[in-house]
Amino acid sequence: MEEYPNGNEGSFNSEEADGVVKECIEAVVGGDDYSANQVNKWTASIVERCLTQLVKQGKPYKYIVTCAVMQKTGAGLHTANSCYWDTAVDGSCTVRWENRTMYCVVSVFAVAIP
Amino acid sequence: MSDLLKDKSQRREKRAGKLPSEGNHGVRGKETTGKTKDSISTVSYMDELAHHDDNPRMAVTTENTYQMGPYKRIPIPAVTDILKDVLTSYLQEEEYEGEWSQKMTKTISEVIRARVKDLMIPRYKIVVLVHIGQLTGQSMQISSRCLWDAANDTFASYSFKNSSLFGVATVYAVYFE
Repeated sequence: MEEYPNGNEGSFNSEEADGVVKECIEAVVGGDDYSANQVNKWTASIVERCLTQLVKQGKPYKYIVTCAVMQKTGAGLHTANSCYWDTAVDGSCTVRWENRTMYCVVSVFAVAIP
Repeated sequence: MSDLLKDKSQRREKRAGKLPSEGNHGVRGKETTGKTKDSISTVSYMDELAHHDDNPRMAVTTENTYQMGPYKRIPIPAVTDILKDVLTSYLQEEEYEGEWSQKMTKTISEVIRARVKDLMIPRYKIVVLVHIGQLTGQSMQISSRCLWDAANDTFASYSFKNSSLFGVATVYAVYFE
């Protein structure tokens, strides 16, 4: 799984968002093994937590947060995104995280409010 | 001086008032903004707009367009059809393979973006997300949450599966005022 290179982030601070997202993932699924019963709950919590943390920054952005959690079975997964927006003010950030039994890919897209 | 400016703005508004009787919605929207821009160019601070490319970070003062919402919304069924069409045509008979999938995800996301742009819905920003994965009996969950204006912003998604791979495509459309 290789990361698709992100476009320029002008006013959107992608490193900061990166840190926020990693912290949210760790908090929700940090020490757990993949479980089909709980995955629904996990993805929902990761996404909501990321969204609330991003909103707390108080920046004038609309956010789209996507999370994909996949069990590790040696299967391959590729993700790509393509965006039509104003590269000066909008930006995105994608975080890949894994543990022993699962992969987690979270993407955050921030679209500026004029 | 201020009287002159007031007169100019009144004249502009009168011109805008005449427009609704002509043409159809989409064209009217474009004409309104076009006419507003043309009329604004007579005012001194529109120089900043003309040099917009040189100073992308300078605060641009823009005139009101008095447009409360989008004239034309994203047609979700049409977008879902685009997604279905693109995913099926690119992935129907294919086998999952590492390098090929990597290229395919990028290609598919660009193709979808171009086709949604061709729908010519003004003032919408588009985000396209594509996942292609191998089917080996594993379990997977993809979810997303958005903080936006629910009245104007929307999304569409479609998932495709064949014997060796699956493909999921999602399009988010965000209104830009």
